[in-house]
Amino acid sequence: MFLARKLVLAHFWVAFAAFFGAILLGAWQMFIRSPLSTWINNPEHYYRSVTAHGTVMAYVLPTLVAMGFGYAISELALKRPLIGLRWAWAGFGLVVGGTVLASGAMAAGKASVLYTFYPPMIGSPLYYLGVVLVVVGSWVWVALMSINLRAWRKENPGATVPLAMYGNLAGAYLWAWTSVGAAVEVLVLILPASLGLTDTINAGLARVLFSWTLHAIVYFWLMPAYIAFYTLFPRAIGGRLYSDTMGRVAFALFLVFSMPIGIHHLFADPQVGAGFKFVHAAMTAMVSVPTLLTVFTIVASAEIAGRLRGGRGTFGWIRALPWDRPMMLAVTFSFLMLGLGGAGGIINMSYQLNETVHNTQWVTGHFHLIFGGAIVIMYFMIAYELWPQLARSAPLPAAWIRLQLWLWFVGMLVLSLPWHWVGLLGQPRRMAYFDYRHPALEPQAWTVTMSTFGGLVLVASALLFVFILARAHRRPAEPAPLTFGVAAHPALRPPFALNGFALWVAMMIGLTVVNYGYPIVQLALIKEASVPVIPIGSR
Amino acid sequence: MAEPGTMSWRNPWVRGSVGALVALTVAAMLVGFLWLPSAQADFSAQGLWASICRAAGVPASWAPAADAARDARPVSTEVVLERSMAREGDGEAIGRGATLALNCTMCHGAQGMSGSEAPNLAGQYPEVVIKQMLDYKSGKRASPIMEQVGKALSERAIADLAAYYAYLPKARTAPTTYDETLPALVRVGDPLRNIAPCISCHGGVDQKFGTPWLEGMPRGYLVAQLEAFASGARRNDSQAQMRNMARAMTPAEIQEVAGFYARKASAGERRH
Repeated sequence: MFLARKLVLAHFWVAFAAFFGAILLGAWQMFIRSPLSTWINNPEHYYRSVTAHGTVMAYVLPTLVAMGFGYAISELALKRPLIGLRWAWAGFGLVVGGTVLASGAMAAGKASVLYTFYPPMIGSPLYYLGVVLVVVGSWVWVALMSINLRAWRKENPGATVPLAMYGNLAGAYLWAWTSVGAAVEVLVLILPASLGLTDTINAGLARVLFSWTLHAIVYFWLMPAYIAFYTLFPRAIGGRLYSDTMGRVAFALFLVFSMPIGIHHLFADPQVGAGFKFVHAAMTAMVSVPTLLTVFTIVASAEIAGRLRGGRGTFGWIRALPWDRPMMLAVTFSFLMLGLGGAGGIINMSYQLNETVHNTQWVTGHFHLIFGGAIVIMYFMIAYELWPQLARSAPLPAAWIRLQLWLWFVGMLVLSLPWHWVGLLGQPRRMAYFDYRHPALEPQAWTVTMSTFGGLVLVASALLFVFILARAHRRPAEPAPLTFGVAAHPALRPPFALNGFALWVAMMIGLTVVNYGYPIVQLALIKEASVPVIPIGSR
Repeated sequence: MAEPGTMSWRNPWVRGSVGALVALTVAAMLVGFLWLPSAQADFSAQGLWASICRAAGVPASWAPAADAARDARPVSTEVVLERSMAREGDGEAIGRGATLALNCTMCHGAQGMSGSEAPNLAGQYPEVVIKQMLDYKSGKRASPIMEQVGKALSERAIADLAAYYAYLPKARTAPTTYDETLPALVRVGDPLRNIAPCISCHGGVDQKFGTPWLEGMPRGYLVAQLEAFASGARRNDSQAQMRNMARAMTPAEIQEVAGFYARKASAGERRH
């Protein structure tokens, strides 16, 4: 390592700087709607903040982390310099430019439409153009990952693609396909309305197109975390990966099943038929398979490490694990949050159970626990693992990292568990204030206060995270080379299908056509589906 | 390894994976399109094909053909707000509007700033003037004077008038910071009575299409309109949005909100 050092560093620093800004907004949002504060006098400021928090956390942070980590994997796992470094910088420039453009529109209050867009609300075209630039920048990354793998294959005919690179490409192809939905929505439906070329918008179709992106984007966020589970965790705890093939199966299944299932976000939408809703619900259930495979494989890998360290008996190996190592702690926290959040997710995706939690604070709790918790804590670990290489620094202080991880874990539970609870009681999401004087709401007020404190703990953790990374730049040293975990049976060759992507990408596209083709064509043909646009912040 | 190294149908991975996916999809579709709808009377009432169509999101007919009850429902307004109504008028339209507006000066003031309890029109959004005039014309909004005025005006004349009034500078109250000195209903509404904040539609937080500019309006006019909405005497708000707000308000709140919007009208516009 590495030609792309500065490139990866730039991606990570922009990602984490934006992340830190967005987390301050999140904490402010929690405070302002809690009983600790008076009602916000201009609710638009709240929605402006929600839009910025969501846009950064959902688009900017994960895209930059996946891109930066992807470039690093390409060099470290393929052991060859990155092809297309200039293009990569150009892609980075697009992402940064898009972020600046969108941030300007959001800060000016011209785009308080929330990051999920929600037509017929229409904001400033600069906001949508900014988001489009972020996505186009990430497409450059997708192309470069594909080109780099192809070049490596040419040099190593018939060789097995390293698991980290396999997961990386799975994430890239998944993103390339899943971003098409929102891209079409923005380019074909929203931008013409935002530019004033049309007065109406097919809101139902727009929502269906967004759902194409909305669910699989979660798995794009998740891929770096899963790559870390499979390739960084076993080595970091001094063990071996239980099965390399299982990792490939999980990545392949994510490609096939995470994409054509997004209509489970539209269970309450009347424009989509009940039959398609059921099919999408059933397919969503299938996504639990690669997750459960991963949990099994990673726990088995931990068991290998525990037994190598002298652990005995059914549970004795757990005590023998290196609990003082940050990675051990992080993966444990991640799995705990993944377990809780995953169980909640199964409720969300059930056509009937969804009725009870739809658009309540439960949903906010769910995706904060899964994404902000299980996934982002692994983003931290990815940064910590790569940082000595990126900053050419001494190893990072483990005790501080452990404290940071504990704060994040505790903060996230204190934030999101009350949300789950109060969501079950019926508290709607996306409210700028609640009237706690009302006798029915007064008993629920403590939950919002508690979440506020959770948010403050998360801010402290994020501050510590940024501090640890920044401090490393002042402690230069020649780092030991970074290696990826080795499988328990490294000589085993995976089946041909699991060394490539053709089959899985074909199945992903085929299933998308089956699951989305009819609803999209049908809605596009209904003329009456167009409704007047509602410009936000235009007067 | 027995497996051929290609993506052909002979590869057992291809056969197995595609076969399993097709089987899963077909099974899910059978449940979603046949089995589950069969349990719902409204899905299955018109036979198997109609039930499949409904599950796909396409009922055989979107609504029963003749719904006497729906046809007999009162209609609050016949005006459909279109964005084109908000476009700025050209010089000619404004000129024609200015000439026509000579008829309006007696009540609405020479420059659209009323000296009586009639509403100010200066700077009013054009779609608001168009909507209200069309409602007077069709009798959906009642006023002995304005209904007659409206009937005499063509749609083109109404659009010209709207262009003229939109062209005039708005009445403005003193600049507001959104703090606790504003009445609560204006700032934050009252969620548990389903009263939205005034500023989320009438300017401040957002200015919704078709919603009038209120700052500097005569207090008596605002009170009269809120009371008319509350009693149902005025009902040309298409979604009953103002009737629902006003009904939940107490007389004291009506006075307070009207007083806020009428207060501190800037110099020159209230000539007493």
